Amino acid sequence: MTNSEAAKTQPIVRLEDIYKAFGVTEVLKGVSLSLMPQEVVVLVGPSGTGKSTLLRCVNLLSRPDKGRIWLEELEITAPGVNEDKVRQRVGMVFQEFNLFTHLTALENVMIGMTKVLKMDKRAAHAKALEELERVGLANRADHYPAQLSGGQKQRVAIARALGMDPHVMLFDEPTSALDPELTGEVLAVMQKLAFEGMTMMVVSHEMGFAREVADRVVFMEGGYIVEAGPPEQMFDHPQVDRTRVSQ
Amino acid sequence: MEFVQKFITTFQFIVEGLWVTIGVTVVALAVGFVLGILAGVARVYGNKFLAGIGTTYSVVVRAVPVIVIIFILFFVISSLVDLTAFWAGSLALGFASGAYQTEIFRGALRSVSGGQMTAASAIGMSRWQAIRHIILPQALRLALPAWGNEATLVLKDSTLVFAVGVPEVLRRAEYVKARTFDPFFAYSVALLLYLALTLVTTQVLRQAENRYRLRL
Ligand SMILES: Nc1ncnc2c1ncn2[C@@H]1O[C@H](COP(=O)(O)OP(=O)(O)O)[C@@H](O)[C@H]1O
Ligand SMILES: [Mg+2]
Repeated sequence: MTNSEAAKTQPIVRLEDIYKAFGVTEVLKGVSLSLMPQEVVVLVGPSGTGKSTLLRCVNLLSRPDKGRIWLEELEITAPGVNEDKVRQRVGMVFQEFNLFTHLTALENVMIGMTKVLKMDKRAAHAKALEELERVGLANRADHYPAQLSGGQKQRVAIARALGMDPHVMLFDEPTSALDPELTGEVLAVMQKLAFEGMTMMVVSHEMGFAREVADRVVFMEGGYIVEAGPPEQMFDHPQVDRTRVSQ
Repeated sequence: MEFVQKFITTFQFIVEGLWVTIGVTVVALAVGFVLGILAGVARVYGNKFLAGIGTTYSVVVRAVPVIVIIFILFFVISSLVDLTAFWAGSLALGFASGAYQTEIFRGALRSVSGGQMTAASAIGMSRWQAIRHIILPQALRLALPAWGNEATLVLKDSTLVFAVGVPEVLRRAEYVKARTFDPFFAYSVALLLYLALTLVTTQVLRQAENRYRLRL
């Protein structure tokens, strides 16, 4: 295998036998999963199954008790790895948006660039505008979060994550807090990102999105991955009964 | 006519203490602000040791009458380091106010939603960067109403430094009373000056509150 081929076949994220417990509650009981470059994986499963916890392990917001995680060539679970550096390479979007309430949309996108990446103000300003443009919100740059709709907030949150040039994006139920009529605009942005080649790990109940955008659907239950496969197979010919029930 | 004349003379004498009152208040509020932020952050985000220091400071100081702290600084500490009455009084007031401001900032820091820290971490901010750039700016805005209240309390407490001879408004009113045996004018002028100061302070802080209100 040549070097470039090796680079191509190297996963962006590799989770190996991840265990995580909170007190006596075992949440993840040996989960292994890899994301190849440009792959979109949608995680589904009942609530309380550990989907969020698994996602949070990928950027070390949660530390696995056991198991190893690689981000490209770097084993991020190895001792001495700088968590903040890891998180710069992993974008994350939350159910509750978590926009910085004291900052405008533009400042929300800029602050990571100026304070974390130490970009100069003018370059950050220009790039932040580009990212807002990417999610269709350049015209809302000077609005505060309180002045934006839920869908707009979530798109700003996506722009904020994109501003750090992440190698992979994590979405934790990005549309669950939205009114039904606002989910479309967020899913459209995510679909566009996927189309542009972003590697994505998405926890979502949006089956239409999973069907259309996912390369692979992963069904989790009780701390295990119980089934995984392309969406057609998962939805039309599920091997595990529960996958069928969940639809 | 004599009434007006007397009032004006009294006023002219006492009003010079206004700058001292303002000076004591501003120094005390500034010192208290720094201590309050440090101890508040230590209590909410510090490790056990730092949080312990913050808590001890706040609990002990709030249990002691402010005048006692002023006396300790003026009679004990100033025999070790060179402190004028003005600085002993102002620093003591600031030390006391810091304990109350600790409580104000602790409450404000706690009311910033946890998602803000999570989101800051997720873009790669260190804990300290997140506190500095995300949490504190929001906490300060949330703290403004309570802080404004503390500012007027410190303004009124600034009268206490008269006990160590700082020539602020009340002290000068006392001079007038002692010289003229006429407490009415002395205290009326003092009352008016404090009233005016409090009203102005309240107004300024209200403007700030409106301007920096955090819209959630
Ligand atoms: N920080 C935490 N402390 C304690 N328990 C937690 C924590 N985070 C998650 N849990 C528990 O772990 C389980 C899985 O949670 P989560 O990963 O959020 O599941 P999902 O996203 O699939 O709904 C739940 O029972 C939840 O209560
Ligand atoms: Mg979840």
